[in-house]
Amino acid sequence: MTKLVIEAIEVAKVLGSGAAQVQALKGVSLSLKGGELALLMGPSGSGKTTLLSVLGCMLTPTTGTVRVGGRSTEGATLEELTKLRRDNVGFIFQSYHLFPTLNATDNVRLALDVRDEPTKEAVARSKEALAKVGLSHKTGAYPRELSSGEQQRVAIARAIVANASAILADEPTAALDGENGRAIMMILSTIAKDRSRGVLVVTHDARIEPFADRVIHLEDGRIVREEQKIVLTSIRSQTGSG
Amino acid sequence: MHRALTIQPKRIGPGCYIKILVTEVSWSDSLRLVRYKVSMPLVFKLAFRNLFHDRLRFVATLIGIVFSIVLVTVQMGLYVGFGRMVTTMIDHASADLWIVPKGTKCFEDPSLLAVRNQFRVRATNGVIDALPIVVGFADWRIPSGGTTPVFIIGSDLRAKALLPWNLVEGHLEALSMPDAIAVDRSYFDRLGISGLDATAEIRQQRVRVAAVTNGIRSFTTTPYVFMDFDRARLRIGISVDEATYILVRLSPEANVNAVRGQLLANISDIEVLTSSEFRNRSIWFWLFGTGAGAALFGGALLGIIVGTVIVAQTLYSSTKEHLIEFATLRAIGSSNLYIYKVIICQALISAVIGFFIAALIDAAIVRMTAATALPIVITSNLTLSLFLLTVLMCVASAIAAIVRVTRVDPVVVFAR
Repeated sequence: MTKLVIEAIEVAKVLGSGAAQVQALKGVSLSLKGGELALLMGPSGSGKTTLLSVLGCMLTPTTGTVRVGGRSTEGATLEELTKLRRDNVGFIFQSYHLFPTLNATDNVRLALDVRDEPTKEAVARSKEALAKVGLSHKTGAYPRELSSGEQQRVAIARAIVANASAILADEPTAALDGENGRAIMMILSTIAKDRSRGVLVVTHDARIEPFADRVIHLEDGRIVREEQKIVLTSIRSQTGSG
Repeated sequence: MHRALTIQPKRIGPGCYIKILVTEVSWSDSLRLVRYKVSMPLVFKLAFRNLFHDRLRFVATLIGIVFSIVLVTVQMGLYVGFGRMVTTMIDHASADLWIVPKGTKCFEDPSLLAVRNQFRVRATNGVIDALPIVVGFADWRIPSGGTTPVFIIGSDLRAKALLPWNLVEGHLEALSMPDAIAVDRSYFDRLGISGLDATAEIRQQRVRVAAVTNGIRSFTTTPYVFMDFDRARLRIGISVDEATYILVRLSPEANVNAVRGQLLANISDIEVLTSSEFRNRSIWFWLFGTGAGAALFGGALLGIIVGTVIVAQTLYSSTKEHLIEFATLRAIGSSNLYIYKVIICQALISAVIGFFIAALIDAAIVRMTAATALPIVITSNLTLSLFLLTVLMCVASAIAAIVRVTRVDPVVVFAR
């Protein structure tokens, strides 16, 4: 039986205060299982990024419960949330957020360095992670020397290098062309084959739906629909064979 | 023929490895180090690259540090130089205790005491010798015309109570000759003389240069003139039963406080000071009694403030520019401590480089002022203190940046 890597139960989140107060999430319940690639879709302002922030322990819910790696975030201090994030979550951002002054290996190594991994092991693991995303030949390249697709692959390597059980990706294909977008999704779906790891992708991009096991539709702070996808199996097979 | 030999990475500290690649040159049978590379900790690398990423800002930071440290060094170097200069005679006198007229503020504050007191001093238990000296201002008649003030120091040449040092011409023994004096060569122009055997007049009495010193300068710019005790008294114009100070030498087993107590009990209107006490009193008078010290410390404080503000401002703006990177660090799970380390590391790198440049400038300034009336003196203790001050200043400057980065919300990584 696959384990739940992230679970949200009746999560509500109010942002701002006074007249500017907005209820971004209104009782959202969802779970992300190991070995699953789920898409979170919805129009702008539907609360996708807020939900991603809450699930990634960057924000605490106003009400409701979030469990990450089996641990509730309720009452956690900022440092405790950071530790939960460090131990369980890997992030992939739309604009990659690589460090321009560090090469690909060091960008990936950062995720291990913040976990106090010894330098020698961290360098070896970073290169291994880069090899997994097909960048073993670009380990010494700086972000400016990499294409957009390659930069996003470095960001994926950074997210997976510390063996996070939940990979949360925010519009990972938004800045990429179709071909690079598909390549990135193939890597993410390969990552999701690991039963100890679940991938949740926030996206507007309907072209990547075929890669998902499940698509969750969010509107106005609520989950309005969930679809299980069976077509994924064939794509997974392609990815696996390719 | 060359053969390459790679040495495995060697751990040189926590998270820090050094990899060395050497080439063996078989013809000469010698090894040459051709390349080395340090796998530096990522915190240091990130800090280093953040600084060098914006070179203009880094240069501004360095200018701030260098300006500040050079200013502080000059002020403190002047303080040390000033302190040494005002106590140079005390430091070179051969005395365990100084008997000075009551209320004496410094060495150059000559009041008079009865010279016969030396006999009472000699009669005190624990005293080996008591040596009167005279000091005082007099007018030096320049051979080509005009006068200039000089400060005469007269002591018993045989007892060697306070003799000139750093002799570069002539001999001490020559000072026992009639009219013989010793002067410093840096004052030749001022005194209107050309060197050894030159003659002039003090108080209408002939003097002849029998010894020349190097580096015995007065911060008051009044030249020191050394001569025999009796002849000095005549030229200063004090009577035969008066002296300025009595230098006391004690036996090794003597108790300084006990001797001091006896002297104070037996002789009125005097003070008995150890060399250290007389030195401190002189320094205190010149530096704080005249306000010169306050000006020096004020200047140093200003340097520290200006340096701290400049470094804080540049570090803050650098941190602001890299805010999204710090937010990313927080998003990927870094603790606050990790981020603080990056910022403090930036401050420390700036401190070390800035201090090094400032030290080079300071060395040049020390060299340039060595022969002036008030040389800047930088001791090893002062250098160490200044380095610590630089580090402290830069780390303190990082506080504003740290406060800013503490407030960064990792959620901003989704907004860009």
